[in-house]
Amino acid sequence: MSFLKTAVMTAAAALIATTALAEDKREVRIGTEGAYPPFNYYDQDGNLVGFDIDIANALCEAANFECTFVVQDWDGIIPGLQANKYDAIIASMSITPARAEVVDFTKKYYNTPGRFIVLSGDTFDLTPGSGLAGKRVGVQGATTHENFVRATWPEAEVVTYGTQDEANADLASARVDLVMADSVVLLEGFLKTEDGECCEFYGDSYNTPEFHGEGAGIAIRKGEPELVEAFNTAIETIRADGTYAKINEKYFDFDVYGAN
Amino acid sequence: MDFEGYEWVFWEGTTVTILVGLVSLPIALVLGLFGAWAKLGGGPIIRALAGAYTTAVRGIPELVLILLIYYGLTIIIQDAVSALTGSDEPVDLPRFATGTMTLGVIYGAFATEVFRGAYLAVDRGQIEAARAYGMNRVLAFRRVVLPQMWRFALPGLGNLWLVLLKATALVSVIQLPELIRMTQIAVGATREPFTFYFAASLIYLAITAASLLAIRSAEKHADRGVARRL
Repeated sequence: MSFLKTAVMTAAAALIATTALAEDKREVRIGTEGAYPPFNYYDQDGNLVGFDIDIANALCEAANFECTFVVQDWDGIIPGLQANKYDAIIASMSITPARAEVVDFTKKYYNTPGRFIVLSGDTFDLTPGSGLAGKRVGVQGATTHENFVRATWPEAEVVTYGTQDEANADLASARVDLVMADSVVLLEGFLKTEDGECCEFYGDSYNTPEFHGEGAGIAIRKGEPELVEAFNTAIETIRADGTYAKINEKYFDFDVYGAN
Repeated sequence: MDFEGYEWVFWEGTTVTILVGLVSLPIALVLGLFGAWAKLGGGPIIRALAGAYTTAVRGIPELVLILLIYYGLTIIIQDAVSALTGSDEPVDLPRFATGTMTLGVIYGAFATEVFRGAYLAVDRGQIEAARAYGMNRVLAFRRVVLPQMWRFALPGLGNLWLVLLKATALVSVIQLPELIRMTQIAVGATREPFTFYFAASLIYLAITAASLLAIRSAEKHADRGVARRL
């Protein structure tokens, strides 16, 4: 038994990646996706930039954390947190009940509504329940928008995509009739670009708490309430001292925090 | 094509893709040789184990296996360490080693069947003749069976390599930024999916073309004894 214990500990010691902890600053590793402009993406020089990144840096400064970023494909982003590859996810992750079963969330740090885009001039019946019968609706798979569309318009034919760009491209070439996604992502990532000239917003802003949740929060491994608390306090701090407003202004000409 | 300053994603991605492929391949080949040996020459228990390996690995989707090994194993080790030492130090498996080992294990199962088929294709009389000359089993395998096995195995192995090369895209889920993942990053930033995916597919095609040349010359080399006699 004691041999086994020694063997396991030796193996573990060899596997431990980051052991050095700064004296007073806590080292926090932030997981993000890096392919979701304008929230988190790479610029031409290969730097990680975006709203999420600026917010993360501001929060770390407010909480006196020494932060490093780990860039992770979206599909593995929660497993990576659980497997201790990083300590927090700041990647525009919507707070949902399903996710809250496996990770803890801080309060939201922004909340933008979901909206439809369509080929300019197209009109549709958006009556919840019976509307969109037989219409093809493109969404990014495994997102709140997919769940929302499936539940709200059960008659619609939902087409899921790996990335938002693929859904947008299929709308532009009329392979789907509508695309539902976050309003900011659609506006910044598509409608404002050359490719997005085909299309426009259609219908209302949707912000149903049971699907869209409270907004985007920071995901933390279960059982670390002090880290959740530290980020919550930091969010309040940067909201109060104007740092948040400055970052908001840098990226958007409207308030992305939503209702208090 | 205008890459808007994002050319660097291709260099970085291609490097990782080729490295992952080149390191996974020998692992797969060694496992394949062992697997074929186990299936053909092992006792009932070894044969059953080899059978379980090829069945399970070829049956489970690669992506699931990678996630299970990289994340599942990390969580198990982490829990064991926390239980034994009470420490919450993060345990991390090296990504490159985990990714290539996993791909090696997966494609080792396919290589097992390639080698098994190749061994069976070698004329029994050749082995009997080698033994009759007084060679022991190892020497007969090295001098007589293996050189002829290569001839039969190479087309299958070449195929395996080309499939493996594209399966390297799966390691992006464990934070290894290979070509597809890097392309997605550039697409995310530039919103030019067609330009970047098209360029990425040309790169895969170029690697494939180069691989085919190498495979052909390897086949020529393996066929040298046969070609003379025909």
